[in-house]
Amino acid sequence: MSKTIKYHVRNPDIVFREEFDDWAILFDPDTGNVFGLNPTGALAWKMLDGTTSVKEIAEAMMRLFSNVPEEAPAEIMQFIDELVERGYVGQDVTTP
Amino acid sequence: MSEKIYCGRGTAARGDPVSTDSETRRYPLYQLYFYLTDECNLACRHCWIAPKYQNATKATSFLPIDLFVSIIREAQPLGLMTVKLTGGEPLLHPQFAEMVDIVKREGLKLVLETNGTLMASEIAEAIASCKNTFVSVSLDGTDATTHEWVRGVPGSYDTACAGVRHLADAGLRPQVIMTVMRRNRDQIGEMVRLAEWLGAGSVKFNLLQPTSRGKQMHHSGEALEIRELIALGQWVERDLAPTTTLNLIYDHPPAFRPLSRMFGDHGDGCSVCGIFSILGVLSDGSYALCGIGESLSEMIFGHARTDRLVDIWEHTPMLGEIRGGLPEKLEGVCGRCLMKGRCLGSCLAQNYYRSGDLWEPYWFCEEAERAGIFPETRKVGRGAGAEEHLGTLVSEPPS
Ligand code: SF4
Ligand code: SF4
Repeated sequence: MSKTIKYHVRNPDIVFREEFDDWAILFDPDTGNVFGLNPTGALAWKMLDGTTSVKEIAEAMMRLFSNVPEEAPAEIMQFIDELVERGYVGQDVTTP
Repeated sequence: MSEKIYCGRGTAARGDPVSTDSETRRYPLYQLYFYLTDECNLACRHCWIAPKYQNATKATSFLPIDLFVSIIREAQPLGLMTVKLTGGEPLLHPQFAEMVDIVKREGLKLVLETNGTLMASEIAEAIASCKNTFVSVSLDGTDATTHEWVRGVPGSYDTACAGVRHLADAGLRPQVIMTVMRRNRDQIGEMVRLAEWLGAGSVKFNLLQPTSRGKQMHHSGEALEIRELIALGQWVERDLAPTTTLNLIYDHPPAFRPLSRMFGDHGDGCSVCGIFSILGVLSDGSYALCGIGESLSEMIFGHARTDRLVDIWEHTPMLGEIRGGLPEKLEGVCGRCLMKGRCLGSCLAQNYYRSGDLWEPYWFCEEAERAGIFPETRKVGRGAGAEEHLGTLVSEPPS
């Protein structure tokens, strides 16, 4: 019985702030930790809405940014995994 | 997408284990700041330590070298890695060269803050031979008239420039430090060119702190207004920095720094005061939070002749209060700041000096908030309201 992770969704307790240069801050009010997201990271974060897949995020990135490398989906996955590990993002898991 | 998607994190590092003793395990003493003498051969109008002026090449009052050695010995088991030599002017210490040798022999990193005027090529070479040496030299103008107006001593411009050169010739990339004030604000761009020419590796633009002599300058209008300081910082970071290969650091607090400058691939983090891992040693052998102990006796925690360093480090009530309270107890704008876990209220000693209260906010951010120009995106906001939650900040993913 394997588990399939379908979608990811942001933890609503994490504060997200976008700034004038499209960079953004993630702030964890529980720990006081601060993370800086560059514009691509900020875009990925905003799309973690529980209905958008990693593939769709990568496609949006290709559309909106120039020079997106081929390994972008893997990088996005790595980014999401780190967020999951920190509890900043939850997973929608289905068991077929 | 040439950069990593996600960059950096951070609360202030509280250190890695180095001992089995509980306080030391949680709070290694990584750095000692030695204020080697309370005398100086310059008389800077903004100095926050306000040492006695000494028109000489050797100090008459200075830290005995036997204490220097015994303090280092006591600090090593507590985690000591770095020794900062500062003052007054540290090169006035009659045994300065021996102290450099000791730092080298013990394999410690050397940090030196000097006005550069007494730097000769031999001592520069000795300094350069220590591990990971970092030296900063103060230059407050790009001409003798301006620099010496600030520094109070004729001839000090040429000797300071020569000092930077000696350090560069010895293979170091010294940092030039310029304290920004009304008198020299138009020389900031030129200072970068001068630093390049002298062989420096970076330029740091310090704020004129309203402490000690600097307080007078704030009162007399010789300091810049908060709006001017913020605008200058933006200009340095966005416009001036791309014109040079030197690293430029404008010392405004992290709430005012672009995220890309802190977290980008070429970002420099944000300068975090190492308050959890630093102790000051004054020229008379007293232990203090830092050089602020020269001005405020309550910041003195004991004396190296009579107290064991481990006891000072682990049982000084004020250190315990700081460790237990930072950053949660910070008040005012610092208490409401998203960057407080990183910035720790900028400089607690400075905040205490101003108000007699450790948890008071930093003057720069307080003035900015009063003027309505503290960045809203760096504030926690009004309670944990819905506006704080990203779902309501961004309604639609961009397509
Ligand atoms: S700022 Fe430095 S050089 Fe100037 S008086 Fe103070 S200690 Fe001396
Ligand atoms: S408000 Fe306080 S904690 Fe925040 S950046 Fe300014 S000095 Fe640092």
